Amino acid sequence: MEEIILKIEDLKVAFDTEEGDVEALDGVELEVKKGTFHGLIGETGCGKSVTGKTVLRLLDNNARIKGGRIHYGNIDLLKLTEKQMEKQIRGNEIAMIFQDPGSSLNPLFTIKYQIEEAVSMYSNLPRNKWNQAILEALQRVKLPDAANLMHRYPHQLSGGMKQRVMIAMMLACQPQLLIADEPTTALDVSIQAQFIKVLRDLKENLNLTVLYITHDLAVISELCDYVSVMYAGRIAENLTTRDLFKNPQHPYTDKLVHSVLGVTTTLEALEEIPGSVPRLINPPAGCRFHPRCQEAIAICSKEAPPLQELAPNHTVACHRR
Amino acid sequence: MGKSGYVVRRLLRTIPIVIGVTLVTFLILHFTPGDPVRIMLGPYATQENIAILKEQYGLDHPLHIQYITWLGNILQGEFGTSIRYNRPVLELVQDRVGITLMLTLSGLFISVTLGSVLGIFAALRQNSWLDYLCTFQAMFWISIPGFWLAIIFLYIFGLQLRWVPIGGLTGFSSVILPALVIGLQEEAWFARPMRAEMLGVLNEGYISAARAKGVKYIRVVGIHALRNVMIPMITMLALRLPWVIAGSVVVEVVFAWGGMGSLLVNSVLARDFPVVQGILLIIAITVVLANLLADLVYSLIDPRIRVEGGKK
Ligand SMILES: Nc1ncnc2c1ncn2[C@@H]1O[C@H](COP(=O)(O)OP(=O)(O)OP(=O)(O)O)[C@@H](O)[C@H]1O
Ligand code: SF4
Ligand SMILES: [Mg+2]
Repeated sequence: MEEIILKIEDLKVAFDTEEGDVEALDGVELEVKKGTFHGLIGETGCGKSVTGKTVLRLLDNNARIKGGRIHYGNIDLLKLTEKQMEKQIRGNEIAMIFQDPGSSLNPLFTIKYQIEEAVSMYSNLPRNKWNQAILEALQRVKLPDAANLMHRYPHQLSGGMKQRVMIAMMLACQPQLLIADEPTTALDVSIQAQFIKVLRDLKENLNLTVLYITHDLAVISELCDYVSVMYAGRIAENLTTRDLFKNPQHPYTDKLVHSVLGVTTTLEALEEIPGSVPRLINPPAGCRFHPRCQEAIAICSKEAPPLQELAPNHTVACHRR
Repeated sequence: MGKSGYVVRRLLRTIPIVIGVTLVTFLILHFTPGDPVRIMLGPYATQENIAILKEQYGLDHPLHIQYITWLGNILQGEFGTSIRYNRPVLELVQDRVGITLMLTLSGLFISVTLGSVLGIFAALRQNSWLDYLCTFQAMFWISIPGFWLAIIFLYIFGLQLRWVPIGGLTGFSSVILPALVIGLQEEAWFARPMRAEMLGVLNEGYISAARAKGVKYIRVVGIHALRNVMIPMITMLALRLPWVIAGSVVVEVVFAWGGMGSLLVNSVLARDFPVVQGILLIIAITVVLANLLADLVYSLIDPRIRVEGGKK
């Protein structure tokens, strides 16, 4: 059996806001196998970024982790102290590329300085080899003219370049697991294709595990081995990429794939599913998808469906499956 | 636009400010009630004597001529002669400027370090008792008038506890109290913005990104965040400088240091206008230069200012 690098169990996260508690995650369950690319998809606001940030314990101040476990190997990340997270986990075990590349680089430091922080901590190279390592990190993500680029400041770079610098910086940490939150959004299509090639290379050469958050089903089909589909703070379905397109079971997954196929490849088309994303302050009772589900039955509005195994590597949360 | 271009432009922009400053300094005294010559000569002066003295100091000319003459002299480093002491103004100032400078700088140092440290801790422990304590103590010090605080401190630490000398400038221990009075009074001006700016910056994406790399939190705050709050803090520093100088003038008088403060106060009372004008002008120019320096420091801290200087 393949080794499981990350296992999230019954994860619950809420945010305190003036309008009340936002139940952003309500029992998220997923497993990421070592050496695989694992996609995490769902409409905007369903909790993808919150899931990623919770793994690194880098949530906003008003967040509360209400329950659950995040197993990384045999460590429960939620039980570690902040110091242990800092020393043992962040960077050298798990790194994260955040959704907004524009604000993820410090405007007052050069690219070189910011990558060097990673290189100096994790590479074990003598100081005089650092420059070379920074150069290689930038070249790995196919940034042109890296020798010059590293002396620039973030504001002198385009959005796409910043995104690639971010990736280079996080890879320079040499993590086992990389959480990539929509890393291709700021890239134009041709660079996206190039970038996906870069990731594929990394996958083959570094045995990197990636939790890949995206709206883009095309990227999922090109890169990912497994997929978790989220809806309103819960997992609707965990399945293989093949099943996602050939054998989706959850009504939401089905809608998602079919509203997209043949029309456009991005998940913006999701909004075409009738009804809107529920607000998470007062989420619908029972199955959170029931107001929009055409297959809903009486129990759906009363009880939340548990995730159950349909087949190996395929779990679904729906009363009708 | 290169960096030198930015510097030159910034320098050129201070010229009108400096002219304005000289104009205001010059006019202030001429519109203050009280004729210096009459005060000098006493109540029994004859018209004749008054006229002679007025001529001697150029006070019989129209105002604009007086201004131009005065400005011309100042440009040659000639600040005039004190009416009261009958000595060159610059000489009087030179004797005392060191004392005032020391008090201003040590007061600034205390207020900036204390304010920054408290502000950072308040931000890191937002809404904790430490945070509230910081707010409370800042409000406390800032709401007491400076001279009053100086007197209370003198009474407690000088008279009762005898930890420090009661007055005069007699070595390091005598500097502590006056500097502390200024430091405490000004500290709130740095603690509050430091807290607010820090809270803002700590929410930035690049802070999370640095932490995601595994950079130690102390380094994230001390390097990544601190550098980003430096610009508003330096602005505040330049903004508060005149107030700190004003504060040290008052405090220094209370502590009987005989610096520029006492000289200024006595000269105002005696309508010794060349001295008052000279001191005001020196202080004003210092403030203008400090702002200029602050602007130049911004461009060292923030690369975006260096490049966009031309557009701003
Ligand atoms: N600091 C916060 N305070 C309050 N609510 C928050 C906070 N951060 C996130 N949320 C809420 O949590 C929910 C999940 O947000 P999250 O950012 O994970 O969505 P997402 O799936 O990443 O969406 P997108 O695709 O737009 O990035 C949203 O409803 C959002 O409004
Ligand atoms: S549980 Fe009911 S409402 Fe939810 S997806 Fe299944 S059928 Fe639809
Ligand atoms: Mg997101």
